[in-house]
Amino acid sequence: MVNAIFDQPTYQAAKSMLDVTVLRHEAISSNLANLETPNYKRIDVSPSFQAELKQAVAAGDTDRMAAMKPSLGVDYTATASNRDGNTVQMENELLQMNQNSMEHSLETQLITGSLLRLRLAITGHSA
Amino acid sequence: MIQLIPGLQSTASALNAERIRMEVVSQNIANANTTRGIDGKPFQRRQVVFETVLSNQQQGDLPGSGVQLLHVARIDKDQRPPRLIYSPGHPDANPQTGMVEVPDINIHEEMADMITSSRAFEANLAVAKTSRNLAQQTLSIGKR
Repeated sequence: MVNAIFDQPTYQAAKSMLDVTVLRHEAISSNLANLETPNYKRIDVSPSFQAELKQAVAAGDTDRMAAMKPSLGVDYTATASNRDGNTVQMENELLQMNQNSMEHSLETQLITGSLLRLRLAITGHSA
Repeated sequence: MIQLIPGLQSTASALNAERIRMEVVSQNIANANTTRGIDGKPFQRRQVVFETVLSNQQQGDLPGSGVQLLHVARIDKDQRPPRLIYSPGHPDANPQTGMVEVPDINIHEEMADMITSSRAFEANLAVAKTSRNLAQQTLSIGKR
């Protein structure tokens, strides 16, 4: 099984988190696009995903990690700040976007790190 | 089609909609004193109405379902009545009363609208920049 060499929990978890980060970026871009649309409700990655991933990491279950699919949903915790029913706050979204971008670079580096380590183990020299 | 740069669809739609709003504001300011339009009546202030549209990659269980784009639903005429100014010599003046109908455009209102629009535009440009960085980082996976 060639799959077995990618079966490390950190690699699979980083991969799942990378999907989440990209999805969250899409949510944030949708929120910022609809900054002034009346009655728009801000969307985010559904919070159940994080709990599920945590369980999978704790159990070391790489198959479950690989099979997990994050999804977007309306963020019901956000409240409207003015009377048009829109729940997006620009400052908050921009902060989250920057945080998300940092997370993305952390995850890409983690994945790169484990791939390079794997290459070192196979070839015997780091390329 | 694969999506190389995340979130670009909604950002592009928002930039387009904000540009239209900016054009409408400039049209309002430009026509603040227009007493005769194509229909022979004084100019009426226009305003854009935004609406959300689900992105066309909704089909199936693709990641990205739930993303909403911004569209200009319509450009409405503001129904407020024109201001009346006494100017009997004006060619568009009412021959009996000598009053001219001038569009009721408040420059401060338009300026405030313009600033909101340009802030929203800036926010979306920041998103576009970040999207590009994310794509670049993703493409450099596996390089040291």
